[in-house]
Amino acid sequence: MQSRFRKGALWAVATLAGGMLLAGCGTAATPAPAPAKTKSTAAEVSIGTLYASTGSFATSSMPEYQGLQFWINQVNAAGGTYVKAAGRKEKIRLVSYNDQSSAQTATSLYNQLITVNHVNLLVADFGSVLTSVAVPIAQEHKQLLFDQSGTGTTFFTPNNPYIVLTSLPTSALWPTSLANYLINSHYKKVAIVYCENDFDQSQDQTLTKLLAKAGITPTYNNAVPTSTSSYTVILHNMAATHPQAVIELGYPNNDISFMQALQSSGSTFPLTFTIFPGQLPSLFEKNFGLKGLNNMFTYPAPPLISVSGVNYGMSLGQFEQAFKKQTGSSPNFLNVAGYNTGLILQKTLATATSLSQKSLRQAVSGFSGTITTLDGKFQINSQGAQVGETLPVGQFTVAKGKLNVNIKG
Amino acid sequence: MRKNKLSNAIILVGLAILFILAPLLYPNQSVPFQMMAYMALAQGINLLYGFTGYLPFGYVGFFGSGAYGVSVLVLLLHWSVIPAVIGGGLVAVAVALLLSPLLRLSGAYFSIGSLAASEIVYYIVSNPNMQNITQGPYGVNLAGVYAPNTSYYAMLVILLIFTAVVMYVKNSTFGMSLLAIKEDPVSAAMCGVNVVRNRVVIWLASAFAAGLAGAVYGWYVSVFYPSSVFDLTISIFAIVFTLFGGGGTVLGPIVGTIVLYGLYNTIGVSSPQYFQLIYGLLIVVLVMFLPQGLTSLLKRRGINVP
Repeated sequence: MQSRFRKGALWAVATLAGGMLLAGCGTAATPAPAPAKTKSTAAEVSIGTLYASTGSFATSSMPEYQGLQFWINQVNAAGGTYVKAAGRKEKIRLVSYNDQSSAQTATSLYNQLITVNHVNLLVADFGSVLTSVAVPIAQEHKQLLFDQSGTGTTFFTPNNPYIVLTSLPTSALWPTSLANYLINSHYKKVAIVYCENDFDQSQDQTLTKLLAKAGITPTYNNAVPTSTSSYTVILHNMAATHPQAVIELGYPNNDISFMQALQSSGSTFPLTFTIFPGQLPSLFEKNFGLKGLNNMFTYPAPPLISVSGVNYGMSLGQFEQAFKKQTGSSPNFLNVAGYNTGLILQKTLATATSLSQKSLRQAVSGFSGTITTLDGKFQINSQGAQVGETLPVGQFTVAKGKLNVNIKG
Repeated sequence: MRKNKLSNAIILVGLAILFILAPLLYPNQSVPFQMMAYMALAQGINLLYGFTGYLPFGYVGFFGSGAYGVSVLVLLLHWSVIPAVIGGGLVAVAVALLLSPLLRLSGAYFSIGSLAASEIVYYIVSNPNMQNITQGPYGVNLAGVYAPNTSYYAMLVILLIFTAVVMYVKNSTFGMSLLAIKEDPVSAAMCGVNVVRNRVVIWLASAFAAGLAGAVYGWYVSVFYPSSVFDLTISIFAIVFTLFGGGGTVLGPIVGTIVLYGLYNTIGVSSPQYFQLIYGLLIVVLVMFLPQGLTSLLKRRGINVP
């Protein structure tokens, strides 16, 4: 009996393996929301992108993807977007794959979007790691890459015209307002801890350089691995230098760990700064409550702050209302970033005289500096890096049970 | 013996034809490229695990060393890319030499020790103080030497070389001595086998395979971060592919990679939750009924598996 069972099981495994072998050869990933066709028809424009539903980038990638999907739904509900090259409105078809936060998987999938799906417009996944592998592939295939939030310094080179950063300034520009505020407010003793990654280290370099110009040398300036989850000892080391300002540069998980250590240690400083509470306030409010965020300094971003002079796309109020109606939840900054990417694509299609990638790139350069969306001014330099948006410094205050932010610089 | 040579030749020619034709039949070159990379890694693990029983969880440390080796040689020392790829492989060998005392451990202790060692290499490479050499956390841009077609065929050459190395080891007295060490190192030593030397040689050969694969991978993707090339899932995939097909054989890692990487590309991307479920079930069934891998099905029926 046992032998017969074992024999059956062996054949089951062998059959399954054989089936998978046949299935695996010559096929590749299927698009997540399975589009009916792989090539664009005349009446639609195809946009290819990746998202990460699992893994370390899922919490950031999914809201950004949701923002892009929101824009597509809005456009298609209005009968499409104007495509100058076709001289009419066309609907948008999204081809998307799940890279599961893996750069290896993303490599195959970007290639798939270009070589098999032949998408008209290519949009990168969230962040530098998942965007990095798309940069050479897009350049090799002469396909313009709309980089949503990959602010890596190595992406933007003079000989690569096939990249445009849409929704964030390059990370080296982020701390300019913070440095100016520290200098103008006469903070002389500054302690900095930053994570060992491209995003945070480039900010540290800019910040220390600007402080040095004003004659300020940080009392503490050390890197920690990005995987750091306990800041207690580091915080005590920083406190031992008696700083007036404590700056922590990390990803959301690092900011949360740092603030947990700050709360449990009971240490207080005249100024404490972390990056992400201003971009994901509900996440931090859930973790620390209003009291925990009171007086904290951060980079406030839409929807926490409203950009003035919006001349393209929805205003912040309209966006918040429409987004909540469509998805049932209030938007965060990453939703805004995804929607903003959609607006840049919309303007590109409305401006480009053909759908060739060179023409698309020329169109982006042409309207650069002329439009302001709810995410800020869209302006790129000659290498495609976003330089129009700036991130102000703000301080949280709590009044009547509500979180407010005061812009400081 | 002659039969063995013939079947080995068929495997090598078959692999070459398969991967030469693949990009012509299917335009997304990255899929067969990554399949080759995992196959080469699985053969590297096969050399170590299949013949000595050492299971290196931190195998990705050599892969990442190779990728960073090629980047340093190209960007810092301005080597041309082919010598730099070979140099990347040698960087991995140098790292393996430094880590060779790990071979004093065995079983789970060795596996965890190798994992810790790969983390050390990762943190050294990504350290901001190494920025002048490895670019630290900033990532590497090898756009100047980016050549996807050439690097594709370079990976094929590496796969064929290390498949041939496994064939040689399997049919040589050296391979027999490794199997003897795997069974009982004390008895093997008493029979005149140089246990330490043979273990170190196969450890370095295995690291060279991963280093070369990592170097060509780095060349192929050309823009990467430390976290991308020291990603632990690379180790896990290569180990699972080897175990699934069957270690200690030439065909096992090839079959394991084709089946499981094929499965990954078929449903793993569109429905990761089902993929992980099926993947988990397959591994449970495998461990319970086929601990020697898929190829043991044939062996049990008296069929010789190369």
